[in-house]
Amino acid sequence: MEGGSRAEGRNPNQLRPFSCTGNPLHRAHGSARWAQGGTIVLAAVYGPKPGTRKGENPEKASIEVVWKPKTGQIGRQEREYETTLKRTLQSICLLTVHPNTTTSVVLQVVGDDGSLLPCAINASCAALAFAGIPMKHLAVAIGCGVMDNGAVILDTNTAEEQQAKSFAHLVFPNSRKSVDSKDPTQKDEESERGLISCITHGAMSEDDYFNCIERGVAASSKISDFMRKTLQKEVSGDA
Amino acid sequence: MKDRHLSLNQTQRVRLEAALHELQSLAPAIASAAAVTVADTIPVNQEDNILKGHGTSDQDGEVVATLCGVVERVNKLVYVRTLRARYKPEVGDIIVGRVIEIAPKRWRLEINFSQDAVLMLSSMNLPDGIQRRRTAVDELNMRSIFEENDVICAEVRGFQHDGSLHLQARSEKYGKLERGQLLMVPPYLVKRKKQHFHHLEQYNVDLILGCNGFIWVGEHVVVGEKTKTTGGQQRFSTEAENFTPLETRKHICRLANAVRVLSALGFTLTVELIIETMEASASSNVEINDMLGAEFYVQTAEREAKHRADLLRKKNGAR
Repeated sequence: MEGGSRAEGRNPNQLRPFSCTGNPLHRAHGSARWAQGGTIVLAAVYGPKPGTRKGENPEKASIEVVWKPKTGQIGRQEREYETTLKRTLQSICLLTVHPNTTTSVVLQVVGDDGSLLPCAINASCAALAFAGIPMKHLAVAIGCGVMDNGAVILDTNTAEEQQAKSFAHLVFPNSRKSVDSKDPTQKDEESERGLISCITHGAMSEDDYFNCIERGVAASSKISDFMRKTLQKEVSGDA
Repeated sequence: MKDRHLSLNQTQRVRLEAALHELQSLAPAIASAAAVTVADTIPVNQEDNILKGHGTSDQDGEVVATLCGVVERVNKLVYVRTLRARYKPEVGDIIVGRVIEIAPKRWRLEINFSQDAVLMLSSMNLPDGIQRRRTAVDELNMRSIFEENDVICAEVRGFQHDGSLHLQARSEKYGKLERGQLLMVPPYLVKRKKQHFHHLEQYNVDLILGCNGFIWVGEHVVVGEKTKTTGGQQRFSTEAENFTPLETRKHICRLANAVRVLSALGFTLTVELIIETMEASASSNVEINDMLGAEFYVQTAEREAKHRADLLRKKNGAR
């Protein structure tokens, strides 16, 4: 199976068309509906609410994640997603701004067609930005798969994930841009931005792993530009 | 602008789009400048003398925005102001809140903030008006002053060390609000002004614009008559006699609907705008429940667009 002949005729570096709707829910403090092809996740943020849970540090804010699958009961897989998301979001939010509070993030899976965790991370990050929770930087997530012949493809759907030798979900911080940069094609230094989270399934060699990260960084800048444009639109779109 | 699921027909949609477009073009150009999103660097001249305010953080020697909003600079302070922020309390704000819990020596109120506000028993005037030390008997009778789900108007006295608010209601104009409607609007639509209590004489209605986005529209209460201490049975008979008259109730409903329409359109709420909207609806004979319909919504948007265009033209003409 060549890497070139993907399902919808995508080339290995091409992402599915993605869209983000801002604040579809009115009762939540912030919400976002992130769609990547057939994978759609709706995230809602409530908070900050007073008080922390029993085991949490009261000098910092805590984040609580609830994952609701599309069908079926809540099991171990959902708990794993919740923990991953909680750790990721805790590392990007500024926790010392509202001490002794809890922010709840509720995720509802509307459609699942592969790359579910990256879609959920993008959705919750956008929802946190709409809710006005201060963050150090945005988290941009991408799913990469390594096929049997060593080719790396981005934004895997369900069929590709099942065929792939191994696949990884990578989360990068978004790139920083100066506010009034007169040069629109300014190349930002992505060299040492780092990696926030990485969840891998299956066995992959070191070279494949670094290959995935490289491709992921390149694609993440595209997604981060898109996120920035969506947030700008929401910020300035008021009478 | 929340979508209130209004079914606009084609012409109404076109008119609404035109009015909104005109409002956007009339908006001052300063608002669109220097909008930042998370992780944008804010250019600063002298790095060492800048005070980094809310919404900014220092990373690798650069000032980076942590919120999405507009960059504001005041002397040496640089901060990011969010446009659709949650309510941010300041000392001296007038607040309208609802009691959710009675705790030892205090009431807890819900005020659309990240934490509940606290009104201490000692910050509240006793019913008999005497200034004295609060005893255990007073503590047991807290329910006779305010109960759960009562709506209260108070003022922010200060902050606790953990970020929660302390309120005080010592003046005559604060206290329990009865005979009216409580409306919840987004807090950024209520700007801080000199006066938040408005008494509309021609309608006999009190309008209180709480800074937290809770707005009270109710029958006018003469300040000073609140401290009547009536016995239990007496209270029933007096209330049975003086119901709010029908005219006042209609005015209250009209005002409340005017506030709902304006908040759905996203206009800053001022008393003049609310009264103008209400009079426009009364003069064009719109039924009170039709005020929440599509036609009045579109008309309000058009009227406001025309009003702002006229203001701008007058300003430009006067220059």
